[in-house]
Amino acid sequence: MDLSQDPACTTNSLSNYFSKDHPDENKWADCVHCGMCLESCPTYEITGQEQHSPRGRVHLIKSVAEGKIGLNEFFSDPVFACLDCRACTTACPADVDVGGLIEEARGQVRQAMPLTGWQGAVSKFFLKGVFPKQTRLNKLGGLLKFYQKSGMQTAVRKTGLINIMPDHLVEMESIMPEIKQPVREKYKNEKVIKAKGETKREVAFLTGCIMDVMFSDINEATINVLTRNGNDVTIPQNQGCCGALHVHAGDRDMGRKLAKENIEAFKDADKVIVNAAGCGCMLKEYPELFPDDPEWHAKAEEFSNKVEDISKHLHDTGYEKPKAELNKRITYHDACHLAHGQGIRQEPRDLLLNIPGVEMVHMPNSDRCCGSAGIYNITNPEMAGEVLENKMQNVPDDVEMISMGNPGCMLQMAIGVQKYGRNQQIVHTVQLLDWAYQKEDGKED
Amino acid sequence: MAGKKTIKTNDPHIRQLAALVGGANSILYLKEDLVAYDCDGFTIHKHLPKAVVFPKNTEEVANVVKYCDENDLPFLARGAGTGLSGGAIPLNDEVIISLVKMKRLLSVDMENRRAVVEPGFVNLKLTNSISDKGYYYAPDPSSQYCCTIGGNVAENAGGAHCLKYGVTTNHILGLEVVMPNGEIIDIGKEGIADVPGYDLLGLLTGSEGTLGIVTKITVRILKNPEDKQTVLAYFDNVADGSQAVSDIISSGIVPAALEMMDKTAIEGVEAAAFPVGHPKDIEAVLLIEVDGISAGIDEQIDEILKVCRNRNVREVKVAQDEAERGRWWANRKTGFGAMGAISPDYLVQDGVIPRSKLPVVLERINQISEETGLRIANIFHAGDGNLHPLVLFDARIPGQIEKALEAGSACLKVCADVGGTITGEHGVGIEKREEMRFVFTEEEIAAQTDVREVFNPKNLLNAGKLFPSPSRCVEVKKEMKAAANS
Repeated sequence: MDLSQDPACTTNSLSNYFSKDHPDENKWADCVHCGMCLESCPTYEITGQEQHSPRGRVHLIKSVAEGKIGLNEFFSDPVFACLDCRACTTACPADVDVGGLIEEARGQVRQAMPLTGWQGAVSKFFLKGVFPKQTRLNKLGGLLKFYQKSGMQTAVRKTGLINIMPDHLVEMESIMPEIKQPVREKYKNEKVIKAKGETKREVAFLTGCIMDVMFSDINEATINVLTRNGNDVTIPQNQGCCGALHVHAGDRDMGRKLAKENIEAFKDADKVIVNAAGCGCMLKEYPELFPDDPEWHAKAEEFSNKVEDISKHLHDTGYEKPKAELNKRITYHDACHLAHGQGIRQEPRDLLLNIPGVEMVHMPNSDRCCGSAGIYNITNPEMAGEVLENKMQNVPDDVEMISMGNPGCMLQMAIGVQKYGRNQQIVHTVQLLDWAYQKEDGKED
Repeated sequence: MAGKKTIKTNDPHIRQLAALVGGANSILYLKEDLVAYDCDGFTIHKHLPKAVVFPKNTEEVANVVKYCDENDLPFLARGAGTGLSGGAIPLNDEVIISLVKMKRLLSVDMENRRAVVEPGFVNLKLTNSISDKGYYYAPDPSSQYCCTIGGNVAENAGGAHCLKYGVTTNHILGLEVVMPNGEIIDIGKEGIADVPGYDLLGLLTGSEGTLGIVTKITVRILKNPEDKQTVLAYFDNVADGSQAVSDIISSGIVPAALEMMDKTAIEGVEAAAFPVGHPKDIEAVLLIEVDGISAGIDEQIDEILKVCRNRNVREVKVAQDEAERGRWWANRKTGFGAMGAISPDYLVQDGVIPRSKLPVVLERINQISEETGLRIANIFHAGDGNLHPLVLFDARIPGQIEKALEAGSACLKVCADVGGTITGEHGVGIEKREEMRFVFTEEEIAAQTDVREVFNPKNLLNAGKLFPSPSRCVEVKKEMKAAANS
């Protein structure tokens, strides 16, 4: 028998993947390569290249499983250049979970080629050393605060030390918000922050890491708005980082560890309120991290059903409409992980529209990614810059504020405003509501 | 991918091609980068290209083409790669000339109702760019969210609204074309609808990228219709639904669109991302749109409702607002991709039949489905008789690809046998080459490849598409011709 005449062996196994935690075949089986996702993808818009499009990435993920290509840098490049903005999941006629596939593929790439050199060191420092550990994060916050208050910031800027930093870090340094005390520190001795007036329900609050260090005033505003509307608020002290940054970076083990910690920390809560879209989306996707672990999968399911974005919570449970006028022209930016990730589009807009005096101005392509994408603007500064440029072109000229529901977007959009000589104030939706209440109470400055 | 790349190969062709398009950032040539280009929207045949280049203007396209011609490198043009017949699949290690970087809207001339676009400009973006001024671009293939107008010209793309407004060829006023030897020519550039001499615009439009590469397109733009109404009608049997289609047309109404989906197609769209709540147990749904000046629209709608009721419609309703109309259309237009929700793979066919034959054709397609054991959904531009049977299969199961191809081919045979043809708008590409024999004799095919030879004598441009490989007698004839010439 002449075997050389037989066709080359074809296999549908997951040949070039590690067996642990590999991309889910059923997810790519939904993709029929129709291309409806192409125009939704910011990286395809910029590169025009298939491997940087959603269907192209799915095609490559499938090709690794088919043994056509390996788990190497050429596969890693398109998979890590994805912003994880999920716009393709909104566009897809067949509901292909491209985001989930990308994260699973990233986990595989990191197993095959762990980060080395300075990239590895930086990633290890932040993802393993800082974000999961609230005390260290607070210390970092403290350092930043010291940097701002001590005159060092002025010194760095004046002495030209700033000139030796990479451009994108200079941009970030320049828009860094003023660091204040994190709410987790402030309320650490209060078991429950009682509702003002009658208690209607109890909620637990995930404070987030970046949010609490960089934007503790937004967390403060969130607590004000919740307590004003009949919510008793608890801040479980053993909560931690949601793990989104780790999962985006392919570190699924760390993601699982953090998920378990949070599921435990919030096990007594009926509802988990989040004011950061990226965190909220991650918490809702915890079950995805436990495909082979029925016990934790079930716990994660139960947990994720309790998670709710602040805007949706207020919208659904009813809240006091503010009476004071805030005469501002505002445009709204849809954070990807609110609009595409959680399907929340109208609720935050309604919050804004219900503030007397607010005039809403439409932003074209408001649900297009701003390029922040977790730490993407640090890992892929060039692409993030181009995405931001496209975004800024859509920000209407004549508005005073850009409102949104995610801290990463806020930092990125602030860079955009600064870089392109615009003058809009970047605000979180819930802050505006809080300001309106304060004005009503005569507390406003 | 950040920063400037360098060329990491000794292949002199790659180095030369890179130089012609502005460097290493505008060319892909490593296997891992090329895998994403091994197919377009037709996924059954896959083949890696030699390279993909991304020219930014006509001159770069012409220089690449000239280089390929001089060095006998096969090449082809690619837009968004959403084609459904494999027209952009590199069967012969082609250099793919991707036109997605040429995506500008060059000019809009409201007074003369025309616009000039580059080939990589996305279809729907044209309408979006001019809708505030009250204009639109009529050809609306279901992939219009992402397909390029260059690709539409190559395939002579149709769409739901082509019943009233015609297909792409009826909207093309001028083309700039890079010929297969690199020469740049203009056809009908001034935008005059009908120029003396042969209708080269008509010949180029729909030539599936085998005669030249279009680099600039002048299209007709239309004033938005003053009014528009959309009707959804559910039927308990297909014969009633298709009879209603014929009755609407014979009553003298020319709807802007008249679409039908059968039970399996409805299952697909309802399981996917844009469901609208079609009942699961109906056999056919009709989506009917009329547009034009306001006067008379209501009467047309009344007439359509009457026709549907006469044909035992179960339920019929008129869209109450733009949002509802939008939902109905999104449900229909994402219909092909929606099949992913009920099947891992699908093969879409594109037959055209006389409207009156629909019940019998659907019956025969049902038989094909039973014989092959593969489910077949039908999405149908009913008004102009353009039928899309979607053969559902799972490529992971050995033998299913072959079965699907067989079923698709059998569907086309049925269409040809009832007096129809094998493609309405998706093109022949690779997919329907052999089926060309259902509708053309060998001589008729040879006559057409003779036309191709005038434009594309070395057959380096998109070879192996559109026509079946020549049978013996044609080859002999060609050899004789070559001998006579030498």
